[in-house]
Amino acid sequence: MNSLNDKISSLAKVEKEAENLVVFSEASQIREIVRLIILQGARFIHLTAIDFSEQRQKIQLNYFFLLLKERINIILKTELDSASPSVSSISDIIPGAIWAERECMDLFGVNFLGHPDPRRLVLPDDWPEDLYPLRKNFSYDFKPPVKSEASVELKKPGEGRTVIPLGPFYPSLEEPAYFRLIVDGEEIVDFDYRGFYVHRGIEKLAESVLNYQQIPFLAERICGICGFVHSTAYCQAVERAGKIDVPERAKFIRTIFLELERIHSHLLWAGLAAHIVGFDTLFMQAWRIREPVMQLCEMITGNRKTYGINIVGGVTIDILPQQMKDMEGVINQIEKEVRELREIILNDEVIQLRFQKVGALPEEEAKNFYVGGPVARASGVEIDIRLNFPYAAYSEIGFRMPIRKEGDVWARTIVRLEEILISIGILRETVKKIPEGPTFIKFTKIEPWQEGISYVEAPRGQLFHYVMTGPDGKPYRWSVRAPSYQNYQALSVLLKGGSIADAPLIIASIDPCFSCTERFETVDIKSKIFRTYTAEELRKCLKAK
Amino acid sequence: MNWSLIIFSSIINISVVLLLSPLFDGFTRKIRAIIQSRVGPPPLQSYYDILKLMGKEDLKSTINPLFRFSPYLSVISIAMASLLVPIVGVNPPFNFWGDIFLFIYIITVVGIAIIITASASENPFAYIGASRKMMLHLSVEPILAIALITGAINADSFKIGDIVKWYHLNGPNVSMLLATVCVFLSLQALIGKIPFDVSEAEQEIAEGVLIELSGPKYACVKWANMSKQVLFCLVFSQIFIPWPLTENILLNILIALSKVTVIIFISTLIEALNPRLRIDQALKYNLTLAGFSITAVFLALLGV
Repeated sequence: MNSLNDKISSLAKVEKEAENLVVFSEASQIREIVRLIILQGARFIHLTAIDFSEQRQKIQLNYFFLLLKERINIILKTELDSASPSVSSISDIIPGAIWAERECMDLFGVNFLGHPDPRRLVLPDDWPEDLYPLRKNFSYDFKPPVKSEASVELKKPGEGRTVIPLGPFYPSLEEPAYFRLIVDGEEIVDFDYRGFYVHRGIEKLAESVLNYQQIPFLAERICGICGFVHSTAYCQAVERAGKIDVPERAKFIRTIFLELERIHSHLLWAGLAAHIVGFDTLFMQAWRIREPVMQLCEMITGNRKTYGINIVGGVTIDILPQQMKDMEGVINQIEKEVRELREIILNDEVIQLRFQKVGALPEEEAKNFYVGGPVARASGVEIDIRLNFPYAAYSEIGFRMPIRKEGDVWARTIVRLEEILISIGILRETVKKIPEGPTFIKFTKIEPWQEGISYVEAPRGQLFHYVMTGPDGKPYRWSVRAPSYQNYQALSVLLKGGSIADAPLIIASIDPCFSCTERFETVDIKSKIFRTYTAEELRKCLKAK
Repeated sequence: MNWSLIIFSSIINISVVLLLSPLFDGFTRKIRAIIQSRVGPPPLQSYYDILKLMGKEDLKSTINPLFRFSPYLSVISIAMASLLVPIVGVNPPFNFWGDIFLFIYIITVVGIAIIITASASENPFAYIGASRKMMLHLSVEPILAIALITGAINADSFKIGDIVKWYHLNGPNVSMLLATVCVFLSLQALIGKIPFDVSEAEQEIAEGVLIELSGPKYACVKWANMSKQVLFCLVFSQIFIPWPLTENILLNILIALSKVTVIIFISTLIEALNPRLRIDQALKYNLTLAGFSITAVFLALLGV
């Protein structure tokens, strides 16, 4: 740690506050410093920009890194001229930064020199050029003119190869995303992705019209399955930035819901994976087992999903002693059934035939793309934010991390099934240890220009929220990086060499969350994109050879 | 030749295979629902489905005439094949007219009709589905053919009626037993259900061969698929386990129906309790079975 500090100090200004190490660098030295940080074994988390055009005609780029062992966040900041911001790309050093850089290009107009794939990622095809929605001079309710005859260039297949389009409406998960498989016979040789069809710009909305206490409810609607992780991560980020001390009981209640969410999310995944290989009985049974968890959540919070109990400073509800007892009953029942389910899956030879040695992600590649969650743990990467960087009440609870070395779909399945049982253990301990006391704390004012970083181990991996507090009672910048965002980028490795029959299974095995990645509101189904992707466009995709 | 019996048994055969097949399909849906802790659709749901689809708009994704006619061909060829399966007695209705080779030709047409539909529909998913179906057919139909040939060698006749008669009289010998087991193990692939529904595989290739079908054409292919299940289960239960067989026609029909119900029940259990195989895995399975069934032919030639 100190050695890193020394090395970087010679190149840039370093400030240390609490667990954050803030490095101010010149744009020309970014690559050197990034290399130094990576050499220290830091994980790349995200890259985002903050627009300071109005204050000082600058756009600030923020590269986020995490030193797991030392539990230190590194924020590497560099300021670019807002008239023509450009900086050299770090994608060749960190392949996992390709998407983050493309996103900054789209939303802030930052030009990354030497980027291997500078196509549009987030914005719709008909969005006009030179209009960057996350810049502060862009009003949140501005409706830009539609650019006609536009489409994002997709990878072309080579000689003798065919395109198999999975999407734009992805058939097995029934969500909008376009996986373009370039195949030679049944073997996948290349892969392209076009998603973000439902990007709704909620970061812009939050920065423009909502206040600190309204955003948790918006954040929770980012995902339809694991929404609670988003509101928790957001609240924690603001609490860190505003130095608000949350009561212990609130932390425990958050832990309880985070774990309940993990249980039902993993069961949902187990069902879907079975459905994708045509094993509908397992699918139905897994979802039946999942149902009591949803009902329990409804009993406590009033909602099956999207609990709406997180606010900055704590949670809005308390769990009554009777509800604790009900919870114990439910988790006892689920534990029994999940054990049976696990036996069935582990002993089924046909499932093994389909899952083993399919979609393997070697440890090396897992580290290159900084994947997280069960995908990383199934490839032998020891990362679990609950243990590495404890938040909520996890520092007071002991549990283990399931690790597999194979990195295939089978390993991911085993890791997830293990995690359900571990979550049940965590829940039991939480219920035992939960202290009495208030569930939220009132705060008066949050100082502007403070930064808060928060991680949550979502069911799908490492979730990251960043908040920079603003002067008028709302965040100046709120950035979300969902776990699937990193996991998606590893798909190119997973899919290559697989067969078409395995593609849906491999894609599903990272448990992709379209909505998380694209940060949209699940409530709004009138996505404009459905109009853009007309039958004609679809026909063009289908006939492309 | 007793024409009235031929006409009567033809009507029985066609109505069991074509008219009752949606009922059997409803039965499988109900069983699956119970296994999956669901309520499931009413038993007549498959009739409603077909009727509804019959009344829907027929979207033509291509002008290729093959695409227009082949779905109907699949239903017709199933009806024809059903006339070569004995239900009311030892002899199938058209015993005088066709032998095992004709039967194999006709059931091949069922598959070919769907493959043609898919290939003509100009959809990449349908292409994949068609090529998978082709591979599956090429690997599984020889097993049934070889099993029938084993029977023919044993009975010294290519007529299905004679094979059944011989089998019923003499009981299973080693070669016939092996052939019966092989047909039973390939039944799921013949029907094209999980674990062998690779050509349709909803989650992988979005129903593959069926993707471009709509309205009456889709209804026909759906109906053909349901009837195919009944047909192949009948082939197995009537030709390869021809017991008990009585003199009473009505009793024979009842016995045939209950046997086929049992076979469909077993097939549904397999369907509900297994995931789908990949095409290469399915082919490997079929080729192993084909190897065994060829052994049956040699055993039959040796007279055991």
